[in-house]
Amino acid sequence: MKTVNKCYLAKAGDFAPRWFVVDAAAVSESLGRLAVRIATVLMGKHKPIYTPHVDTGDFVIVLNAGQVTIRGNRKREQVVYHRYSGYPGGLKEITMKAMLERHPDRVLREAVRRMLPKNALGRRMLTKLKLYNGDQHPHQAQQPDPWPFN
Amino acid sequence: MPRVLPGPATRRRHKRVLKAMSGARAARSTLFRTAKQTLLKARAYAFRDRRARKRDFRGLWIIRVAAACEARGVSYSKFMGGLKKACVFLNRKMLSEVAIADPAAFDKFVELARPHIAAPA
Repeated sequence: MKTVNKCYLAKAGDFAPRWFVVDAAAVSESLGRLAVRIATVLMGKHKPIYTPHVDTGDFVIVLNAGQVTIRGNRKREQVVYHRYSGYPGGLKEITMKAMLERHPDRVLREAVRRMLPKNALGRRMLTKLKLYNGDQHPHQAQQPDPWPFN
Repeated sequence: MPRVLPGPATRRRHKRVLKAMSGARAARSTLFRTAKQTLLKARAYAFRDRRARKRDFRGLWIIRVAAACEARGVSYSKFMGGLKKACVFLNRKMLSEVAIADPAAFDKFVELARPHIAAPA
């Protein structure tokens, strides 16, 4: 008997990506837990068609991105973001507190970025995350669905 | 002893190796010595990865079944445990294919498993 050794692999165009909108200020989950959910949706791991080499994920719009819940009294001072320009002495450090003041959306973006695959596909997935500091977003045309978690 | 020149056998062997490695990069596809090393390594990887493939796919099916379960409010482990108690012995590959091709049928599997899932204490 000849057996068929095949399983479904998604192709680009097989599926239509959906859009979700979530208000970070209204979510009870903390920064990391929210980031896990967002990363899962961006990667497509919440769908049975998930295929590792294809971007099967959906888009996520986050409103009030800077108002995400951060637990712990000292966390804002303790968490330090580093980046290195490549030049000697080019290490820049910024605490979460200062980051929240200067670029409120980057705290959540960084948390999500670190949870995505470290490759070209992961970088492409991150572009599907749309962060806004206010409670408005310009993606009405995509008809985003409400956040299905929480 | 007279000097021995490389004969037809050597040439054939070299050609065979270089042809097999024609897709490799730079010197690995043109120089016999590096091409041979690449070929040995390539075969070792191929042997290992034929076995790894079975694990990779099982992992993928688990991710897919888990996604289908979470969407229906059951955890993967509870679902698999419940199915086993309900005497449904489909493997993860088939469950994941059902979840993609026929979501309504997958709903039924979840309903089969649900009575066997203990309520959290």
